[in-house]
Amino acid sequence: MRKAVGIGGLRRREAERLALSRKGSELAQREIEKLQEQVTTMKAKLEAFVREHQRDIRNNPAFRVQVQRMCQLIGVDPLASRKGYMAELLGVGDFYCELGIQIIDICVATRPVNGGLIDIDDLQQRLMQRRLRGSEPVVADDIKRAISQLGPLKGGYLIVEFGGRTMIQSVAREMNADTTTVLGLAHQTCRFSVDDVHAALAWDDYRIRACVDDMIRSGIVWVDAQTAGMPDYYVPSFYSAASKRN
Amino acid sequence: MATGGGAGARFQLPEIHSFPPFFTRQPNEDTWKEQRRLWCDLVVAFCRHHRRSALAVAEAVNEPPFSNPRIRRALRVDTLREVVDELVSQGHAAWTGPKGSVRDTCLVFWRKPEVWAAMLHQWAADRGLCNTVLTLYELANGDDTADQEFHGLDYATLRRSLEALQSQGRAQLFAGSSDEDLGVKIFT
Repeated sequence: MRKAVGIGGLRRREAERLALSRKGSELAQREIEKLQEQVTTMKAKLEAFVREHQRDIRNNPAFRVQVQRMCQLIGVDPLASRKGYMAELLGVGDFYCELGIQIIDICVATRPVNGGLIDIDDLQQRLMQRRLRGSEPVVADDIKRAISQLGPLKGGYLIVEFGGRTMIQSVAREMNADTTTVLGLAHQTCRFSVDDVHAALAWDDYRIRACVDDMIRSGIVWVDAQTAGMPDYYVPSFYSAASKRN
Repeated sequence: MATGGGAGARFQLPEIHSFPPFFTRQPNEDTWKEQRRLWCDLVVAFCRHHRRSALAVAEAVNEPPFSNPRIRRALRVDTLREVVDELVSQGHAAWTGPKGSVRDTCLVFWRKPEVWAAMLHQWAADRGLCNTVLTLYELANGDDTADQEFHGLDYATLRRSLEALQSQGRAQLFAGSSDEDLGVKIFT
């Protein structure tokens, strides 16, 4: 067969290329449509599922957590916005909003005693007390989620860890490394003395004093001067949660 | 209605009463304000529960609720004075004893005298006992007041409440030989 080198041949080749690429994009289009269809089906299924189990989702915290995880896995964030379709469907947007407000309430109310630092267990207990009238139980996961929702309010609500304790910090302040270290030291006993800190960390007295004064100033420790020797310093937010556990 | 004599259920101490630093005046002013508020609430609740008004700070610090023997902590006298000062400023207490003396004894009003005054006036009006001379003894211990909350109230508080009523022009006090037979006429 003679090679097509003339103008006609070039045109024909161009036409083939066009046809091919048209076919290609047609195929891609179909693929996209198929995917979209799948996503729509998925969304519909999820909606149906959520609608069907709405009551369970509101009432059963373990189930709620699972549904949340599932939604996140497929890239649907039911909490992304109050207007999100999942939020409206579930009423979970309201749930976390409400929870967030109650958390703020408790944090502000207890701030004079604990300097804006509260143990998550203590917070959970207080939330449960507040929500007594037969409403949905709240788990730590819900609290964390509600707090992450508070971000845009710029209230400085933070989740911080000391040793094995999860604490909610409700005062916007930079906790310095020394404070964090000392709090980590006291997380079991709820209290410490200058000697304890010295024994554990071998800091000089000046550094310990400065750290303690700072903690007193911000209200996160209380002084007990009625000891046999030097005063003890208590972390009320640790103490309160510990006494409730016992 | 209240029967007087504070027996019955035990007084429930708040959780913070087992928190050792609660008995040390906190150096942080904001913390102290909160601590003082908690103490004020505790004192008023305690006095209401035991229907007790008179408080001598020097002795009081040796017993509950101002001491907690279990954790061997007690409020210092000067700290308790500061708490009472706060109660006084709220109208929930008054220092007794001669003016200018050491603030050592006080009355805690778990109801403000004006509130007692209103109750006394209401009672007298209901019983048709206005414009009659009544003694403090009758008011506190008489059969006619047995169902009233002010029945069994101490004379000092009762007297202050009646003085409050007098200053409103709704009563007249007549001196007696003792608090007990102090007379009062409540006007309509």
